[in-house]
Amino acid sequence: MAEPELLLDSNIRLWVVLPIVFITFLVGVIRHYVSILLQSDKKLTLEQVSDSQVLIRSRILRENGKYIPKQSFLMRKFYFNNQEDGFLKNTKRKVVPPSPMTDPSMLTDMMKGNVTNVLPMILIGGWINWTFSGFVTTKVPFPLTLRFKPMLQQGIELLSLDASWVSSASWYFLNVFGLRSMYSLILGQDNGADQSRIMQEQMSGAAMAMPADTNKAFKAEWEALELTDHQWALENIEEELMSRELDLDGMFSQELPTGIF
Amino acid sequence: GFDNWNVLIIVFTEMRDKLRKWREDNHRNSEQIVDVGEELINEHASKLGDDIWIIYEQVMIAALDCSRDDLAWTCLQELKRQFPGSQRVKRLAGMRLEALEKYEDASKQYDSILQDDPTNTAARKRKISILKAQGKSAEAIRELNEYLEQFVGDQEAWHELSELYINEHDYGKAAFCLEELMMTNPHNHLYCEQYAEVKYTQGGLENLELSRKYFAQALKLNNRNMRALFGLYMSASHIAACPKVNATVKKANVRYAAWATNQINRAYQVSHAMCCVLLKQ
Repeated sequence: MAEPELLLDSNIRLWVVLPIVFITFLVGVIRHYVSILLQSDKKLTLEQVSDSQVLIRSRILRENGKYIPKQSFLMRKFYFNNQEDGFLKNTKRKVVPPSPMTDPSMLTDMMKGNVTNVLPMILIGGWINWTFSGFVTTKVPFPLTLRFKPMLQQGIELLSLDASWVSSASWYFLNVFGLRSMYSLILGQDNGADQSRIMQEQMSGAAMAMPADTNKAFKAEWEALELTDHQWALENIEEELMSRELDLDGMFSQELPTGIF
Repeated sequence: GFDNWNVLIIVFTEMRDKLRKWREDNHRNSEQIVDVGEELINEHASKLGDDIWIIYEQVMIAALDCSRDDLAWTCLQELKRQFPGSQRVKRLAGMRLEALEKYEDASKQYDSILQDDPTNTAARKRKISILKAQGKSAEAIRELNEYLEQFVGDQEAWHELSELYINEHDYGKAAFCLEELMMTNPHNHLYCEQYAEVKYTQGGLENLELSRKYFAQALKLNNRNMRALFGLYMSASHIAACPKVNATVKKANVRYAAWATNQINRAYQVSHAMCCVLLKQ
């Protein structure tokens, strides 16, 4: 159905489209700095520090165990993986799912999260809807069905208007998600203005908890260590060393370097 | 006039850079640090800006080494004024008490740090150093073991423990500590050499073989490590001279010892040539 193209007043471009982009961007930047201010110090417990170091040691054993004698490697592997009392096998950390009831700091974190993210979005979305209402702002480049009309054309009561023409509120939401890459450019990777990333985290965050991670990490290390064998790097060291003369260049210079004696 | 001023600026930047280099390389040339640092603090404090705080810390520790309590006290006061309630400054205060041999007070100071922050490793390590200074090696070893149970990754602590064990002639346990260090620093020839020396001291055919291998590894990592070269020679000769050894092993070790002798001779020739050059100059 050939449709006469709607010609929008260019004032709309100047006074609606650009300001909304501007506002969204600024609000995002402000949100980023506010989230930095409100950030609570994450204090690690002794157990967490200790566990992370144990995991590192186990990994080093897997990677560099070939530099120590076989007996020593086996002794350490036994310590970690032994059936009865191996550290990785038997240490279970208490898994406390961080729900708002048990952990008061979690509650404040959630509140802060809501205040900085959801609240501004609702407020500004509503304000834009109220200020820039009654006219069409822009046209999305792809055709939409009629079902989208009530959602995207809030405040415009025109039955015959193509659903591709959207109101300013939809332009605002488009911006919120579209400016994500701009934020990464300007504020760096881990910025607090990334709305969609935060929402993603909130959804998956309920399942992930640090304590559970530790148990899983231990299990993963246990498996990896089970599979590791000892290939002594020093097996033929004498032959390798004596295949050529020692490089004694610069041995006795004016300034005696460290490490000779 | 203008020239003098330029020279002063150059001297100042040189001193500041020297201090930074010593700080980054963890040098313990305390007398030099005190000389340079004291002058820097007294004459050029205003030019240092925020660098001055870390220089205060560096100079204070060096001053404690040189028994300059006056200088240490000044530095400590400045730091206390700028960073009240800081745990890092508290630790420095504790170190000063240690230097004055007021071990009880120092220990209390570190305990107060640990009350606020049980994960503070520096305070725990200072407490162990107090035990070491008081000559209580058995207790120091026990405390250090407990510390390492919680902080397995602390390489400085593993090294300290290996030294304590060597002093107590517990070579088996010292070897264990050195193995940890070799794994975390596979390219450090010094750890291989120390490990080889411990194995050599333990004695017995198996340990001698290990010692020879690790002397060889140290040499491979650093061709100029003379101690490792001599160690290689001695362990190989020792094995060759052992009556229980079979003919092939004996032959191999004789060959290794001969190679080592060869290299030692070369090294002496190089040093002789260097001496001639130096004498001619």
